[in-house]
Amino acid sequence: MCNLVNFYKSGALQDVLHLHDVLARVALAKLCHTISRARALDERPDVKSQFSSVLYQLLLDPSERVCFEAILCVLGKFDNSERTEERAAGWYRLSREILKLPDAPSVKDSNSDGKDAVPPKASKEKNSKTRRPQPLIKLVMRRLESSFRSYSRPVLHAAARVVQEMGKSRAAAFALGLQDIDEGAYVNKFSENNESYEPDINPTAPSEGIRRVPSMSNGMGSKDTIASLLASLMEVVRTTVACECVYVRAMVIKALIWMQSPHESFDELGSIIGSELLDPSWPATLLNDILLTLHARFKATPDMAVTLLEIARIFATKVPGKIDADVLQLLWKTCLVGAGPDGKHTALEAVTMVLDLPPPQPDSTLGLTSIDRVSASDPKSALALQRLVQAAVWFLGENANYAASEYAWESATPPGTALMMLDADKMVAAASSRNPTLAGALTRLQRCAFSGSWEIRIIAAQALTTMAIRSGEPYRLQIYEFLHTLAQGGVQSQFSDMHTSNGEDQGASGTGLGSLITPMLKVLDAMYSGQDELIKEMRNHDNAKKEWTDEELKKLYETHERLLDLVSLFCYVPRAKYLPLGPTSAKLIDIYRTRHNISASTGLSDPAVATGISDLIYESTKTGISDLIYENTQTKSAEQDALDDDLVNFWAANLGDAPAMNRVNEFLAGAGTDAPDVEEDNIISRPSTSYDDMWAKTLLETTEMEENDARSDGSSSPDSVGSVETSISSHFGGMNYPSLFSSKPSAYGSSQSTERPGGSRYRAYEGPGSPIREEPPPYSSPPPYSSPLHQRYESFENPLAGPGSDSFDEGRTSSGNPKAGTALYDFTAGGDDELNLTAGEELEIEEEVDGWFFVRKKRPGRDGKTAGLVPVLYVTQS
Amino acid sequence: MLLAVLIANSEGNILVERFNGVPAEERLHWRTFLVKLGADNLKGVKNEELLVANHKSVYIVYTVLGDVSIFVVGKDEYDELALSEAIFVITTALKDVCGKAPTERLFLDKYGKICLCLDEIVWKGLLENTDKDRIKRLVRLKPPTEF
Repeated sequence: MCNLVNFYKSGALQDVLHLHDVLARVALAKLCHTISRARALDERPDVKSQFSSVLYQLLLDPSERVCFEAILCVLGKFDNSERTEERAAGWYRLSREILKLPDAPSVKDSNSDGKDAVPPKASKEKNSKTRRPQPLIKLVMRRLESSFRSYSRPVLHAAARVVQEMGKSRAAAFALGLQDIDEGAYVNKFSENNESYEPDINPTAPSEGIRRVPSMSNGMGSKDTIASLLASLMEVVRTTVACECVYVRAMVIKALIWMQSPHESFDELGSIIGSELLDPSWPATLLNDILLTLHARFKATPDMAVTLLEIARIFATKVPGKIDADVLQLLWKTCLVGAGPDGKHTALEAVTMVLDLPPPQPDSTLGLTSIDRVSASDPKSALALQRLVQAAVWFLGENANYAASEYAWESATPPGTALMMLDADKMVAAASSRNPTLAGALTRLQRCAFSGSWEIRIIAAQALTTMAIRSGEPYRLQIYEFLHTLAQGGVQSQFSDMHTSNGEDQGASGTGLGSLITPMLKVLDAMYSGQDELIKEMRNHDNAKKEWTDEELKKLYETHERLLDLVSLFCYVPRAKYLPLGPTSAKLIDIYRTRHNISASTGLSDPAVATGISDLIYESTKTGISDLIYENTQTKSAEQDALDDDLVNFWAANLGDAPAMNRVNEFLAGAGTDAPDVEEDNIISRPSTSYDDMWAKTLLETTEMEENDARSDGSSSPDSVGSVETSISSHFGGMNYPSLFSSKPSAYGSSQSTERPGGSRYRAYEGPGSPIREEPPPYSSPPPYSSPLHQRYESFENPLAGPGSDSFDEGRTSSGNPKAGTALYDFTAGGDDELNLTAGEELEIEEEVDGWFFVRKKRPGRDGKTAGLVPVLYVTQS
Repeated sequence: MLLAVLIANSEGNILVERFNGVPAEERLHWRTFLVKLGADNLKGVKNEELLVANHKSVYIVYTVLGDVSIFVVGKDEYDELALSEAIFVITTALKDVCGKAPTERLFLDKYGKICLCLDEIVWKGLLENTDKDRIKRLVRLKPPTEF
């Protein structure tokens, strides 16, 4: 093997190789890379360095294909598996290693001493002047720059791709804390007096960590730094944006995004992207690809959240019609979590900016109200914009509290009653001075709640309720007052000029939101009256100097639990901590709990905690905002600490809108060879029927559900709440948006069920425990191959027992002996011989065939059929 | 993997297509995608000027030659540059067979030979032969080299 290497090493590589096939040399590059990283060769660093030397020589290959492959190999991009350490080591290699050209000894020569595997250092003297060793980074930069001057689009595209990969490796290096890679340092410049340089100390195996090559740069007189080399490369890359081909431009923008470092100003990148997006020729798929690149960039460097959000905002403002709102929202969310305490406000601002978007028509300056009118002229982008606005409104409601670090259950300063006495204006002023982030979000939501189109108004009202429940005073009171007026419709005359163009029946209540808001108001009413009651009681007790009796405490506790249940209908709150009766109730409830041994930490198995809210608690404890509260809840802190560090990341990776998430994950994994979708019309996804549906369901179900829950008050079993919650998030909250609070039990249960005791129970929500779901639970869906097969085997064994036993075990039916049965679930026929079922229908089971029943209905169904096959599991035998 | 070679006329009708490792249900999508790509971008493009596109991790290089447009689609080691090489071989072979940049009529006249050449150049998703003379011999069922 060494023989071979030495053979390669002699002379100009491509001449010696006789490998005229480009792809063969590409394969050689990959081979060399693999061997030079092989663990099995750890004790033979000489061999490894030989192979990496061949790899480095391939950088000089005349073919771009080979050279680029070699660069990618050096950068640690070997296949689609992205390993950060590998990539970081790659960047290190590129910026540190030096290509020493062998001195072209004769082939014979190298063959003779090949066995010794000595690096060809002995015969170095002669040619070292003519063929100076070169730092890799210089070689690569020079090569890339010349490639960027090419006229061939494939070459430009490939070069931009290589730069992108370079950015990835660089980001990985920074992420791993290799900041000591001082880019201002002079590039190692090899001069004649450096013969003592030992190639053997190169960092070879990633397992050994990254050893630093002693810097050769001191006093070498070279003027090039890595930073300056990069800067000149990026200059060339930027000019490439002028290319006609959008695909090349897209790749260049991706490269720029990857090469953007968190500390540089992104003005230039922003303006490039901004002007690029004005070009109407960008296909939507490419733009979404760039959006996904932002995602990937964020994952690599969470510090960049704010920058990336700014870029995403450019996308939302310039091309709302072309980007996938789900993916954008996912980006908002991941960035919000990743932005850290300081960036949260900015992150939220970036989102709210979407609400201020002008409608697609540039000449129209009427703001959001005119969306409906614009839609006549440009329905597609108006619809997309509206969807984007909805997403933003919803996002704001769900996450404003998180961004503002304002929670009713952990506000550092419990509101004085004096604050409540203020009139509304002063209250708003006080609120905004206390928490500008939340106050800003609140104002925007309020504006949306009366000036948006009806879909936006609904979501805004829901968002406001969420915020009201989650925030402490004075925000809650402020929202309450607002909702109250909204429900009464008193604002109509005041604001009627704002929705003149709305085009739909305003409804009896002016804003049309009355029926939606009423239940929300009821909850808030109940909370406030409960608080009043409590204060009155406490005064009474204080005045009379009485202790609280157990009965009274029980009553209080039951009110507390009932309110919790009510509140959980609208949004998630941590049951263990949330105090619907106000902070003053904490002590009394604690007394009752300790007396009756009710564990306050039941809340930890609560879906809210399980899915997301715990992250927030976790986050805020990290930032130390709620330290005060924390000391009070020491009993729980142990369990809280069990939430591991990765939880935030885990949440970011696993919750959220499934299709968008899939797209992101797919993108991050570098997958995706499936065919492109050409139908442009697909952009109008999620037809408005779902909103109609949601609307209808909201009307029908809110009051009903509330009553249901009120009836079952006191029984605070998380199950009941959880199931109603599921129904809420599917119908009421409606829109599958990813959220810090959204419940996605399936994703959670499947991947982390072992890590937490609550997990297994949690999965049960998927099952028949939820009364709302109409489809059969997943495990009982008709598996024509698995369990019925098993049953069939059983029935095959049975005939051996005796010819007379025609009816098999447990009365498994046979022909001529019809049995009565009932349909358990709805079933839609998949073929001509199958039969539609409606849950609850009575049937006669004629016979069983391979996991299917041949059944006969008593009355013909809607399709007129009376007999056919249905899956066994869809029917119970009575 | 060289996923597809597709030759279409100027109106977007497909003359020859070779798919490798593309599931049947995706072929239609690829066809429409490529034809649309050509219709959008190939106007006024010089003969043999290479254009590039990508979809996720799949690369597409395409060009125009006379009346026909040629698309090659590949992934992994067949990136833009490798595909440029493949398309260069294909255009060379086409010119060789037709004697000049083919008109649609000429292309259809030589259809059989073109197909044979194409199959020698790309076989089962791999770029197999790149040498013009070698391809010529192989098409005539002669041994590729004389000993």
